[in-house]
Amino acid sequence: MAVKLLSETEKSFITYGVQDDFRSDGRSNIDYRPMELETDVVSHANGSARLRLANTDVLVGVKTEVDTPSPDNPGAGKIEFFVDCSANATPEFEGRGGEQLANSISNMMQRAYHSSQAFNLKQLCILDGKQCWKLYIDVLILECGGNLCDAVSLAVKAALFNTRIPFVKAALMDGGNVDLQLSDDPYDCKLLDVGSAPLLVTLCKIGEKCVVDPSAEEESCSVISLVVGVTGNPKNYCTPEESAKVAEGKAKCSAISMSGPGSVATKTLKDAINQGIVAAQSLDSALGHALLRERKENVTLKKHSYGFLK
Amino acid sequence: MPGPELLSTQGLRQDGRRPNELRRIHCKLGVFTQPDGSAYLEQGNTKVLAAVYGPHQAQKSKASTEGVVVNCQYSMATFSTGERKNRPRGDRKSQEMSLHLRQALTAAIKTELYPRSQIDVYVEVLQDDGSAYSVCVNAATLALVDAGIPLRAYVVSCSASMAWRDGRPEPLVDAARTDQASGGCLLTVAAITNTGSIALLEMSHRLHMDYLDVVLSRAMQGCRDIEAVLNQAVRDHLAEGWTKQDVVTV
Amino acid sequence: MPLDYRRFNGPEDSVSYKRFTKNYIRNYDEIHKELVNKNGVRKDGRAMDEARSLFARTDMVSQAKGSAYIEMKKTKVICSVFDPRETPHQNEFSQLGQLYCEVKLAPFSCPRQRRPHAPDAEERALSVALRQALEPAVCRHMFPNYQVDIFVLILEHDGSCLSAAINAAGLALADAAVPMYDIITACSVAIIGEHSFLDPSEEEEFVALMSPENTETNHGVITMSTLSELKQVSHFTQIGNLDVECVTNAIQTLEQECSKIVPNIQKVLVSSVTKCFKQKQRLDEEAKEREAELDAKMEEWKKKLKAG
Repeated sequence: MAVKLLSETEKSFITYGVQDDFRSDGRSNIDYRPMELETDVVSHANGSARLRLANTDVLVGVKTEVDTPSPDNPGAGKIEFFVDCSANATPEFEGRGGEQLANSISNMMQRAYHSSQAFNLKQLCILDGKQCWKLYIDVLILECGGNLCDAVSLAVKAALFNTRIPFVKAALMDGGNVDLQLSDDPYDCKLLDVGSAPLLVTLCKIGEKCVVDPSAEEESCSVISLVVGVTGNPKNYCTPEESAKVAEGKAKCSAISMSGPGSVATKTLKDAINQGIVAAQSLDSALGHALLRERKENVTLKKHSYGFLK
Repeated sequence: MPGPELLSTQGLRQDGRRPNELRRIHCKLGVFTQPDGSAYLEQGNTKVLAAVYGPHQAQKSKASTEGVVVNCQYSMATFSTGERKNRPRGDRKSQEMSLHLRQALTAAIKTELYPRSQIDVYVEVLQDDGSAYSVCVNAATLALVDAGIPLRAYVVSCSASMAWRDGRPEPLVDAARTDQASGGCLLTVAAITNTGSIALLEMSHRLHMDYLDVVLSRAMQGCRDIEAVLNQAVRDHLAEGWTKQDVVTV
Repeated sequence: MPLDYRRFNGPEDSVSYKRFTKNYIRNYDEIHKELVNKNGVRKDGRAMDEARSLFARTDMVSQAKGSAYIEMKKTKVICSVFDPRETPHQNEFSQLGQLYCEVKLAPFSCPRQRRPHAPDAEERALSVALRQALEPAVCRHMFPNYQVDIFVLILEHDGSCLSAAINAAGLALADAAVPMYDIITACSVAIIGEHSFLDPSEEEEFVALMSPENTETNHGVITMSTLSELKQVSHFTQIGNLDVECVTNAIQTLEQECSKIVPNIQKVLVSSVTKCFKQKQRLDEEAKEREAELDAKMEEWKKKLKAG
């Protein structure tokens, strides 16, 4: 992680501020920084999203490929995460410098998406035991301003929401091999069901308290942080007409891990997990709201673009 | 020797451009706050991000007393091409591109001003639709300008390919992926246009000696055209940037 | 990635013959039901909240500064710790010492597939988790700019291998006389529906990570390591899909279980220290005897010399 140079006084300023629920950028301990989200930004990918969380900039592209399912799980598709820390973010990431950080993030994402209750891989099945879709989720980190895990998980969920998988027009069985014919029409496609996909929430322990969405400065003040993956509520991701049919999803932990050289007391751990779930629920509903609005705008109006990518 | 059908009977390319027409250029300077300079450049569907860090103290192994060391890294996002790439960097092609980029940029930077220092230029191809190298050079130039690094002049790159029309050679400027699809030649030139000097020249595939001149001059013309666009963008950015900065300080 | 051409690598995607046996093709419910019978007794005869018996000893590897071997029934782990050495490839001075951890699963360790020789993603993740767990336990300020190497080899994997690795590494660090704040212990729990399997076997872990058909069912594996005297959690990982209450309850049970292991580890350490002392005493005595013998001989010679 890019280490910010902070003096001892600056560190204690941040630490004492957090104890009084007042952070250096004016937020309280449970506030997120402003976010900017845009979907469908990369035309070579089946789905894409760019998320800017204050100074953290993440670009996600989802590509699909036809693959054979694993023999242990013949009815399910595959999903693979790849995180690349671009040297644009900091010169330390040049060459293979960002690999460790990238691996830890992709590992965490893979674990959070492991359970079928979090993301149902059965929807990627084409022909049971023969053919399935493999989703490559490529995350490109363009700028680091703290709280990478949360930003990545939000952007990934948005990109998956935006992902279009072409319909299969025909499948020819030729002996044991299957020959698929995919639809050429870009509008002839299906969308993924991503309502329950998990979001990661990082809780950074500074002094005695935990804060959400730590900035890079705050991260360097903390010795331990907890990352909680919480499944989303599918109701947030469908229009009011559809929502009657969709079951309410309960927020559950799909992955938890700790990072940093410190340790925590059990009580703090429990509190932090609860705090993470509350934060994830409100993030999830905000994300669902934004994505639905963007989808609606795409249909009715010509799309406005905000970020630098357009 | 009739070449592949790159031009329609009306003399238009597959994407509807005339042979001497550039792709639409869209650029933005100072897109990021952390690097010393950054730029985003779009030529048609080829999209590139560039960031510049420095000049700062050089790594011990790289330091040179002669002048500044330009350290470049070219990487392509895994989703940038039609087929997914397995590695964003480190393969032969991107290493070669890094070297070429360094060569072109070193020609433009006033290297003698910063001995024992280093300038890092990182380019990230977000989407590749042909002539990625040229776009990278242009984006890197913009980022260098944004970082305030003294340049001799803009170094601008453009590519050109060749097609046949009515039995006569017709060079195509700023080749997109579709212009290369049928295996035509691709000539890439990076030049400092106001002196007319070439910093880098690269060609792939086969081209008859007689036509080299035509294609090269078309590419050079493309460079001059692109420079005008970039120059305007820099001026606009500065005019806008000063006012923005004033607002921030107030 | 440099490939090892001398080693014979099997085909990348091969299918185990076991897949075609009758036992393999069963649905989730069947496998799940088999794990625990009506009386709440598990396949290997344990109660749900009963951990496996633990065998631990130190001084396994003579070359290492400290080493430990831990056996929890079929999970067998060996760990060696080496002297601090200057951190290689480091430009800046670091105030805190570094821990370098490497976890290796032996190629024959897993019941389901053969492990590759090169470290794969799972081993790397285990190594990172182990370092994370050990860092708060070690007084790293005592050896600035130095690193301690910790190597864990999992000889046989029958579930809870991360917690076994942490236990072994904690014991080996203590054996190597690396200054530590507290004894570190770890434990895992696998949760399937309303059952929670303490100290799960490989099969229980595997089923807990499979996704059940009912979308509401809890399932998952939690591993936690604690410094029980300081009442601190040094590492916590969870995978699967669990309710918050479920996680909080698991934290409770794991904390208790971790503190249960501490006396055992203490006993092992005490016995290794006493053994060490005894050995030293014995060596001292032997040395004294030898000296006395030599002295006696000297006297004899002196007498002979004087006698001329």
